[in-house]
Amino acid sequence: MSAAHDLVVVGAGPAGAAAALAAADAGLDVLVVDEQRAAGGQILRTTPPEFGGRRKLPTGYPWAGELLDRARSHPGIAWRHGATVFGILPVTADASSAGGADASAGPGSADGADASAGPASAGFDVLTSDPADPAGSGRVRARRVLIASGAYDMPVAIPGWTLPGVMMAGAVQGFLKSQRLRVADRVVLAGSHPLLLIVADQLLAAGARIEEVAIARGIPSPVELLRALPAVPGHVRLLGELAGCVLRLLRAGVRISTGTVPTEVLGDGRVQGVRLARADRGWRQTGPARTVEADALVLGYGFHPSTELARQLGCALDWDSAQGGWIVRHDAQLETTVPGVHVAGEPSGVAGAEQSRAEGELAGLTIAAALGRPVPERALAGARRRIRSASRFSGVVQRMFAPRREALLELATPATEICRCETVTRSTIDGFLDENPFAGTADAVKLACRSGMGPCQGRYCESAVAGLVAKARGTGVGEAGRFAAHIPVKPVPLQAYVALADDPAEVP
Amino acid sequence: MPDAEATSGRAARLPSERGEPAEITVDGRPVGCFAGETVATAMLAAGVPAFSHRNGEPRIPLCNMGTCFECGVTVDGVPLTRACLTTVRDGMRVETSER
Repeated sequence: MSAAHDLVVVGAGPAGAAAALAAADAGLDVLVVDEQRAAGGQILRTTPPEFGGRRKLPTGYPWAGELLDRARSHPGIAWRHGATVFGILPVTADASSAGGADASAGPGSADGADASAGPASAGFDVLTSDPADPAGSGRVRARRVLIASGAYDMPVAIPGWTLPGVMMAGAVQGFLKSQRLRVADRVVLAGSHPLLLIVADQLLAAGARIEEVAIARGIPSPVELLRALPAVPGHVRLLGELAGCVLRLLRAGVRISTGTVPTEVLGDGRVQGVRLARADRGWRQTGPARTVEADALVLGYGFHPSTELARQLGCALDWDSAQGGWIVRHDAQLETTVPGVHVAGEPSGVAGAEQSRAEGELAGLTIAAALGRPVPERALAGARRRIRSASRFSGVVQRMFAPRREALLELATPATEICRCETVTRSTIDGFLDENPFAGTADAVKLACRSGMGPCQGRYCESAVAGLVAKARGTGVGEAGRFAAHIPVKPVPLQAYVALADDPAEVP
Repeated sequence: MPDAEATSGRAARLPSERGEPAEITVDGRPVGCFAGETVATAMLAAGVPAFSHRNGEPRIPLCNMGTCFECGVTVDGVPLTRACLTTVRDGMRVETSER
């Protein structure tokens, strides 16, 4: 088994990097595990070193370069890149050879929801897998863990969305930023999140033909804009960037349609066209659809936090649609309902890079304090202030761009595949719900219909499945529940288990 | 480098500094690429029409960040390897998956 660490951070984005740095500065021994090759998360992805040239970070985050440089060169931080954390096991006190309980019971963890898990102060075994490097697979002991696993693009099931050429906005941007690859020539973009306009602008600059940008919502009303004003100070640069995107798109003659939704993707073996239709203020289709020819459809309706490790650990989650769906419950110190497990960034509620970084900093500091390291009150207050400041902006973005999930769900016809992995259609799920009036949860549908049992483990169908349950039973999506998560939370090769067997502890 | 027909209208490398030229095979066919590229980039730029199949339907990457597994391919014998998270290595053997 690898040596024990004070803290293992899952995710090397702004939250994870800031947490690792704050904790290591306070004297902790930190390991960061991330699936990507380099630190920065999705938002700060850059071209690989083999490409040469200078690192180009997005202009909206002036702190990014220094944060990554300091974290990467810090002697107190070890990195395991290209590795997946596929499970986290609490270590019971008698199984722990490390001894040494935490200096305190952890700040404010008396939520009671999952307090029956037993003594958690002995720490955790973090299970990692790296198919390309045996040294990256195995079991790592940690006194505390921080889940900073980020978010992924919110899936929206529409007819034909499994055709090659339908891609998420984050995917397209990732190919541009880190690989200098334009995914298609003729592109339609559909969504509601501000990222969509940024990606359209970047595609345009990359020589793509933007056939149309279809935005579900209308133009913001004066009342909305007034409400947004207090949130602007400090974020002028980001808003300016967005305005610049729109200006360049319009100048290039790109059609930006508000109140418009995609109703179908057309094509034989790949995307050849997209059907677009007018929608009302509630995003419901009002008029007939028209066809726009294209090689790709880019979807950008928002983000879902990656919460599978928190689920697997038994942390309590809450449904909050505007914050991205299921988010991990936490106290003011960002500790979850499982003592010793902390959360920062998008899994605590999708709020963007600025807030993620501030939350990471607070989490790193409070974990250091909980493990007995001296942490100046001034530093804690500074992190809290940065969270408050960032949340004013993120709160407005969340309200203005909150997805209308019920309307988006109605874009799926009976033949539309809700579960892409297991090719389960809406009619299969609706039929099951019709025939089984007492089935009232997303997990019940999963067991009966297999939706959520494929390699993505429900990440791309859970919200639609829960939405169908909620619609059939007249409840909310939150009441329909969520899929449970088990080890492995992502499919890993058998070698990952072999590596565990080589470690001196029982195999799960 | 990939043949012109397969790439028309689809993915294209932007003019940019890249790594040393490399070659991988996809289902036994040589695919030219550059060091530092992901397997997903190499395959998209080569116009490979399907990374995986689900119920006979072709699939290519959806998320490009390791969550959707649509890009799952067999790399040097390891199945369900995410092409979007895997960096090419000269001589790497990639097989698309049937399912």
